[in-house]
Amino acid sequence: MPRLNLVRSLAGVMVALVIASACAQSSPGSPASGSPKVELADVQEITVASAADGYRNDDKRTTIGMYPLNANVFDTLVTLSPDYQVMPGLATKWEFREPNTYRFTLRPGVKFHDGSAFTAKDVVWSIQRIAKQGGGTVGVDAKSAVAVDDLTVDITPKRPNLRALQQLVHPTWSIAKAESDTAKPMGTGPFRFMEYVKDQRIVVAANDDYWGGKPTLRKVTFRFIPDANTRVLALQAGEVRISDIPKESAKTITGDFSVSRSKVGAYEAIYVNIRGKQGYDIGADKAIRQAIAYAIDKKIVVDSVWQGNAEISQTMIPAGILGGEASRITGTNRDVPKAQKILEDAGWKAGADGIREKNGRKLSLSMVVGFPNADVHKPMPEFAQSQFKEVGIDIKIVVTPDTATYEKRLANGEGDLWVEAGSQNDANPCFLPDLLFSSPDPAGDQESNMYGNAFAIGAAFDAAIKRCREATATPDVQKAAADAMKLLIDDQFVVVPLAGTFRIAGISNKVLDFVLHPAGVHQRWDGVKLSK
Amino acid sequence: MLRYIARRIAYLAPVWLGISILAFALSLLAPGDPVRQVLQQSGIDAPSSEQVIAMRRDLGLDDPAPVRYARWLSGAVRGDFGNSYRTGEPVLRSLTDRFPRTAQLALVAIVLGLLIALPLGVVSAMWRNSLTDQVARIGALVGASIPGFWLAYLLIILFAVRLRVLPVAGASEPRHLILPALTLAVGAAAGLTRLTRSAMLEELSQEYVRTARSKGLRERAVIVGHALRNALVAIVTITGIRLAALLGGAVIVETIFAWPGIGKYLVDSIFNRDYPTIQGFVLFTGTVVLLINLAVDVSYVWLDPRVRLGGKSR
Amino acid sequence: MIATKVRDPMAEIIAGAEVLAPRSRRPGALQSLLGQRVGTVGLAIVGTIVLLALAAPLLPLADPTKVDAARGLAPPGAGALLGTDNLGRDIMSRLVWGARLSLATAGLAALLILTIGVGVGMIAGFYGGLLDDLLMRVVDVLLAFPALILALAIAGVLGPSITSVMIGIVTVAWADYARVMRGQVLAARERQYVEAARAIGARNGRILVRHLLPNVLPPILVLASLEMGGLILALSGLSFLGLGAQPPTPEWGAMLNDGRSFIAAAPQLMVYPGLAITLVVVGFNLLGDGLRDAFDPRLR
Repeated sequence: MPRLNLVRSLAGVMVALVIASACAQSSPGSPASGSPKVELADVQEITVASAADGYRNDDKRTTIGMYPLNANVFDTLVTLSPDYQVMPGLATKWEFREPNTYRFTLRPGVKFHDGSAFTAKDVVWSIQRIAKQGGGTVGVDAKSAVAVDDLTVDITPKRPNLRALQQLVHPTWSIAKAESDTAKPMGTGPFRFMEYVKDQRIVVAANDDYWGGKPTLRKVTFRFIPDANTRVLALQAGEVRISDIPKESAKTITGDFSVSRSKVGAYEAIYVNIRGKQGYDIGADKAIRQAIAYAIDKKIVVDSVWQGNAEISQTMIPAGILGGEASRITGTNRDVPKAQKILEDAGWKAGADGIREKNGRKLSLSMVVGFPNADVHKPMPEFAQSQFKEVGIDIKIVVTPDTATYEKRLANGEGDLWVEAGSQNDANPCFLPDLLFSSPDPAGDQESNMYGNAFAIGAAFDAAIKRCREATATPDVQKAAADAMKLLIDDQFVVVPLAGTFRIAGISNKVLDFVLHPAGVHQRWDGVKLSK
Repeated sequence: MLRYIARRIAYLAPVWLGISILAFALSLLAPGDPVRQVLQQSGIDAPSSEQVIAMRRDLGLDDPAPVRYARWLSGAVRGDFGNSYRTGEPVLRSLTDRFPRTAQLALVAIVLGLLIALPLGVVSAMWRNSLTDQVARIGALVGASIPGFWLAYLLIILFAVRLRVLPVAGASEPRHLILPALTLAVGAAAGLTRLTRSAMLEELSQEYVRTARSKGLRERAVIVGHALRNALVAIVTITGIRLAALLGGAVIVETIFAWPGIGKYLVDSIFNRDYPTIQGFVLFTGTVVLLINLAVDVSYVWLDPRVRLGGKSR
Repeated sequence: MIATKVRDPMAEIIAGAEVLAPRSRRPGALQSLLGQRVGTVGLAIVGTIVLLALAAPLLPLADPTKVDAARGLAPPGAGALLGTDNLGRDIMSRLVWGARLSLATAGLAALLILTIGVGVGMIAGFYGGLLDDLLMRVVDVLLAFPALILALAIAGVLGPSITSVMIGIVTVAWADYARVMRGQVLAARERQYVEAARAIGARNGRILVRHLLPNVLPPILVLASLEMGGLILALSGLSFLGLGAQPPTPEWGAMLNDGRSFIAAAPQLMVYPGLAITLVVVGFNLLGDGLRDAFDPRLR
């Protein structure tokens, strides 16, 4: 691609778009701050658009106010900062105790919304509730949580897991009042649960006794609007004050609001199946994987396809969690001649239609799109398809309507390339690599091993993950996680990271001090204010 | 009369059984192991084989399909459709939560459609080829040709974003009903206008109308008392079919307007392999459709003197 | 069954401007002119779009799948008559190429629906008895079943593709036609030509194909034209749900779906495919009306 041309046309588009969106931009991470001059509105009530209602409320699992959106009804022992650091929450400090225990010192004087005191027994009850459901990511059982005294709790996962601290930041590990009725969420958070109408709204009101200070907002209404386009229209109509915005069109959407971006909290990557069943087995050839890695222009993905609402990423997780180790992963950038040479050397010669062939087999790959849903990737797969074509690789895009179909295909090994958007919701750097690329469990069934069966690269990777799970010092954890990812990305080309993606929200100009968290489940509402 | 209704019910009974078999068979068709979904949705990220096997046994999924069908149907007729895999709540409750919303939307849309279509169709037929007729026909033509979801967005942009007179989406106030109902009503009105017009034209050309006119009956009496009354047979039939289709859930309109009806929920259930919900909803809406058919049949008794009770009219 | 005629679900479609009116005692020049004009306009619209679709490879159009993301969302103007989409693809070109797929898919689906529907309807109507009862109950089951759900379930089994969507639609939609056709055959069976054929000892199959079919064919053509419009709308609706044509194939419903998030700022992405769908559906509906006027046996 002639560079000058690209720059020029980019500039043309940018001018048009920038003019169109006029003042609708604010630089990331610097929302208009509540300077003393700003007069606050008399009515501090806000409506926020949320995606489809995914809550459930039964014995097995109660997610009210926790997931997928966090209404701040509950607190966790530790929290995740927008920089992916573990911060104090209901626990003010913690220490690791050999061999596998974290001891938490709880915040004194904290009260539940009904006025009762928060103590260690509430933590024990909350952890045991998750133990009954299988133990969650941390891996807890009924004996895992022990109250040492009223304000001290020991948590010992049932298997060696030194990453428990980083995992406990996730709102799944919210602390509810012991023996409370899950239908009436009772937490310690900055907002009290008021009302939940299925598929319509959750309403919460300020908890003036909040240990972190009285929230300015009196009431927050989260409205469920499943269609992304309708959410944007609701924002433009002024019906909601805050809404997410699709990253591919964020720049083109204008109105009485500004567009805010979080730091990177999610990533887009292509995984290559190395053990697909017949018809989907070309990915076993390392040359193919390498060519794919060099075929795609990550800069255009970031700048044009997603209109600047992402940044080039060579790792699978927000680089911040890896500290300095992230730079050891070099990754790939578009290099068409190199990709072509790799394929040429491996015996894949261009056919009449430009698509390469070897031993009568066409270099035709299927690219499965559907996790977590097809829309979040738009329009990247079609762009990648056109780029792969330039090096002689034909791509058939298969969009699955839902994750179940996606997973079924994965379990069956039906697909060469798998496009996934992962998001980092806790502070554990090896969680995602471990989950997706560890060798399959010999005792496991086909479906629980589906990622491993398709992508696991073997012993060296597994060893790095084991080190990551068992390390105590942060630098060792980061080093082990980086080692594991380097094997995946630089050595085996099983993972082709494309971009780290931002969360993007349109925020009414009346909203002050809203800081978009890179991981949606950690969003805070207690600092937000409304101006006149 | 009662014998007629009884005969209709006797005819519909096997149809109802057919619907139940098809509803149940959907679970045999679709890919994906429901058990894994259940386990994952109850917070277990990587279920072990033992858990999967145990859960499969608990849900009775190891039994042969006919046994499961019989068990499901005997529960269903007593109102027990089982619990949703996805939300854990009883299917019956999610039905009773959502169906009234869908019914509300469908009824308002149909009534709105009739309010537009009946006068327009009648006037169009009376003043055939007049300007009014031409406009009505073109309107009906375009109304029947616009993609529904496109129209939905256009209506939102016009009435909610530009004019700001109606809300974009939601379901908490009666005002929220207007745009989704209007979107659905346009399609219904277009079809019903065409039908009303042609049915009226047919009736107006009949002998009895000339007779009535020649007897000096007022034109309004002729139109409303005779022609429209007879045209109603066809109109009621098509209205019933339209209503039945809307009660199955207007998925796209419900999704766009965040209307908490059964359509969107049902599609989500399909995507999540939530079989108890799919089966329960399909059987329920199928039953409702059969009841509407029955009601339409019964209405002929009043509307159409040609329907001789006990006779076979074709 | 009672009052078969008015039970026809298709009555709504068939009942356009003039269908039931031919018995009017004053056909009049104006009416037939209007009928002709309607048909002519419909034919012109459909004909133009079909021609454009057929001629797409010969036209000086940009490659409809040629991605140039850096040139995305160009406004209409030189280079791209209707502008470009967010990946820099020429919208005009995608519309024309999209017509091929949209029309071909809807056409094939209509053909299948009519073949199955007409076949089943004729067999049920002609033979009557237990077979008729059985077939009509199957039809009733399908008509009471939420069509979209069945189509989605089938697409779930076969994997999302335009083929599965088509199979899903066909599986459900033939039932309507079977019912209409059965009614037609019941009426025709009593007519003289069938009795005459029977009298000279023609076999059932021969009567069905040689005598009945030609007589019920005209209304079928009318239905086919009207069904095309409905099918194009249905396919675009399924594309909205992410089923249907897979990228980069240009297809109107998929284009409309992809353009959704740009509706406010780059309306060309959604307006043109929406207009194209509306126009072609209007065209098929007009053509159907016109054909009906021309063919309706009661006019003869």
